[in-house]
Amino acid sequence: MAKGVRPTKTTNQTSSVPEGSESAMSTEPEVTASVDEPRNDPMPMPEPATNRDRLPLSGIRVIDVGNFLAGPYAASILGEFGAEVLKVEHPIGGDPMRRFGTPTTRHDATLAWLSEARNRKSATIDLRQPEGVQLFLKLVAKSDILIENFRPGTMEEWGLSWPTLQAVNPGLIMLRVSGYGQTGPYRRRSGFAHIAHAFSGLSYLAGFPGETPVLPGTAPLGDYIASLFGAVGVLIALRHKELTGRGQLIDVGIYEAVFRILDEIAPAYGLFGKIREREGAGSFVAVPHGHFRTKDGKWVAIACTTDKMFERLAEAMERPELAAPELYGDQRKRLAARDVVNQITIEWVGSLTRDEVMRRCLEKEVPVGPLNSIADMFNDEHFRARGNLARVEAEGVGEVVVPNVIPTLSETPGRVTNLGPPLGNATYEVLRELLDISAEEIKQLRARKII
Amino acid sequence: MAETDTTLPLAGIRVIDAATVIAAPFCATLLGEFGADVLKVEHPIGGDALRRFGTPTARGDTLTWLSESRNKRSVTLNLQHPDGARVFKELIAQTDVLCENFRPGTLEKWGLGWDVLRKINPRLIMLRVTGYGQTGPYRDRPGFARIAHAVGGIAYLAGMPKGTPVTPGSTTLADYMTGLYGCIGVLLALRYREQTGCGQYVDAALYESVFRCSDELVPAYGMYGKVRERHGSHYNEFACPHGHFQTKDGKWVAISCATDKLFARLANAMGRPELASSSVYGDQKVRLAHASDVNEIVRDWCSSLTRAEVLERCYATATPAAPLNDIADFFGDRHVHARRNLVAIDAPDIGETLIMPNIVPKLSETPGKIRSLGPKLGEHTDEVLREWLGMDDEQIGELRAKRVI
Repeated sequence: MAKGVRPTKTTNQTSSVPEGSESAMSTEPEVTASVDEPRNDPMPMPEPATNRDRLPLSGIRVIDVGNFLAGPYAASILGEFGAEVLKVEHPIGGDPMRRFGTPTTRHDATLAWLSEARNRKSATIDLRQPEGVQLFLKLVAKSDILIENFRPGTMEEWGLSWPTLQAVNPGLIMLRVSGYGQTGPYRRRSGFAHIAHAFSGLSYLAGFPGETPVLPGTAPLGDYIASLFGAVGVLIALRHKELTGRGQLIDVGIYEAVFRILDEIAPAYGLFGKIREREGAGSFVAVPHGHFRTKDGKWVAIACTTDKMFERLAEAMERPELAAPELYGDQRKRLAARDVVNQITIEWVGSLTRDEVMRRCLEKEVPVGPLNSIADMFNDEHFRARGNLARVEAEGVGEVVVPNVIPTLSETPGRVTNLGPPLGNATYEVLRELLDISAEEIKQLRARKII
Repeated sequence: MAETDTTLPLAGIRVIDAATVIAAPFCATLLGEFGADVLKVEHPIGGDALRRFGTPTARGDTLTWLSESRNKRSVTLNLQHPDGARVFKELIAQTDVLCENFRPGTLEKWGLGWDVLRKINPRLIMLRVTGYGQTGPYRDRPGFARIAHAVGGIAYLAGMPKGTPVTPGSTTLADYMTGLYGCIGVLLALRYREQTGCGQYVDAALYESVFRCSDELVPAYGMYGKVRERHGSHYNEFACPHGHFQTKDGKWVAISCATDKLFARLANAMGRPELASSSVYGDQKVRLAHASDVNEIVRDWCSSLTRAEVLERCYATATPAAPLNDIADFFGDRHVHARRNLVAIDAPDIGETLIMPNIVPKLSETPGKIRSLGPKLGEHTDEVLREWLGMDDEQIGELRAKRVI
């Protein structure tokens, strides 16, 4: 159990911060304070940021009205780097991710919710009621970024079309993530990552040739990838807004985000009619390049992408003659003799323990790595040294270990301020302070189940 | 002159991509699509190894190079030569962003470490991508995406239960994902710099990118000691059915019923609405407890119909389903065409039209642009040395004679 994990330096442990104490609820954007640079210095070095709380997105307000991960993860990243993220949820039950995965002692939070709804406050608004829509529009007017992932057409049905949103906030940046995107004949089809992996062509490629295609490692992969592209789009649009005052819409289909990252599959079919098939544990570009079982029943990955790497592997195997040009020194020859080269590697790896294979390969600088399970990763000194595992206090649950922020920025490292919030923990604060709605009116909205 | 569109959000931003293969260069590709002027700085002999990764074209450079080095200009420069290092520093003084992926310590060895470069250009933003990051005990190990998939835990999870772990669909996932994280880091750093004048570096590790995208894997082990194993073709931990099913014509479909409502739709599609009653399989917990029975029912149904029939019935009831497309299916799909996910670009030097993935994401006001395919090695060396550094023919000739460029 979580042995050897220690708190990480890049994470501010802010379990003691009371809800609502953050200055980010101010309706005014933060004043941009410039850092003084030393004068008369021909090569001025920037002063280290004097206020370590200042982050690249300080003063930016994000509304995340999405469910699960595709889109909301982009909001998580923005939150890690300083944005104030407000999760707007349905008053009954909220985001279904609160119920997806392993439950905790808190009825409104699974572990997935706690980890991935980090750095948010929750406000409940029923968008299916006209009064809820009016409240939501008021919030949008005071925000910079809106992130949603309903089925295309849903927000329009509620009276929250892009023109309406843009009318209340011309500088608004809206990220829309859906299975198939906002246009095209399939736009209304429901699309989860599993569906997008299939449609994009990724699932077809996972597994052994001629056998059942398997899941590509992790179920929500496409949700994360779509969110990464979405976050790139939001940051580019933010720059455009700051230059011109104009907002815009970002449209991401999960399938197209996954398809975009399949290297040469499209041009190779377009030019040569080549249909890539499942490759098992290997790869069409290089040999040996795959997963090999060690004597102790564990697995290692070895990747000899170049002749140089294979030469090193041959040395690690104490069979340098294999790398001779007339044998397997040349990648094309290795690809032609794929089965033989793989068999040699299988036999060598199978004769040694994982630790021994790792040691010999690393000594010769062969690209090698253990196929880590989550238990392996918790016990790994490099994960520890990089601070990849963060211990963060979750309200009502206690300490939870979650993946830390990436990427690592030298001057403005991101942070995890809090884990997935209780449902509606900031509804009152948001309505009262941000929208200046009276306590009495809030009471009535609550009684009518609009919030 | 760089033909960037001055209306794009990153117009005027200069990027030096001194990296190789896909990871850090993909960050530069994304920046270039949205208006940045990207210089690919390559070794004079052979250049970027991506030119040789995958299927070669008549020009020699591979398809991946032509597609992924879109919008870049190629400048050759030998950084190991003192004059090359000097020219590189002059370029750094003129740039906003540097992308690199040398093994930690390499640039430092050439006198081009962060401390040196930031003195030359305090506003510099430097993206450093490596297999294991700039810190930690494994930082010097060679790392490719394949290794990162193993170390980051995704390879362990792909494959049949207890069977050989397989490639999680693509060998370059971690490269692209790290390029995306790197791009996010660079864009954040650019915004911070414009407010404070302060540059910084972004430290991205390939293994961290796949590790980060693991839903509850980390907290579930941390709290309950739960070790996730390979799921094969059916993810039966939280949702059932959720997997791949073979159809009568030997093709495959993906079906996913994350909620009871979605299972009810599937039951309707199968013409067996009674399966979704609360006394049968209407409840996710019951379905998970009897996953093999439920999967068997869906498998039998799928195998009695062609792929087109299964999908037609699923779509009619709004059940989440899709074909497992191969690339030929994808090229032939009308939605793909409507979304313009494929773009055809003439490559006159190989006498062909190249079809490649179009830009993601789609921005309404400032859509990205593909202006050119991957350049020839050193195609723009002279033009850039003149344009950025004001060199004349004599200076350029001297560098060439010394094989610095």
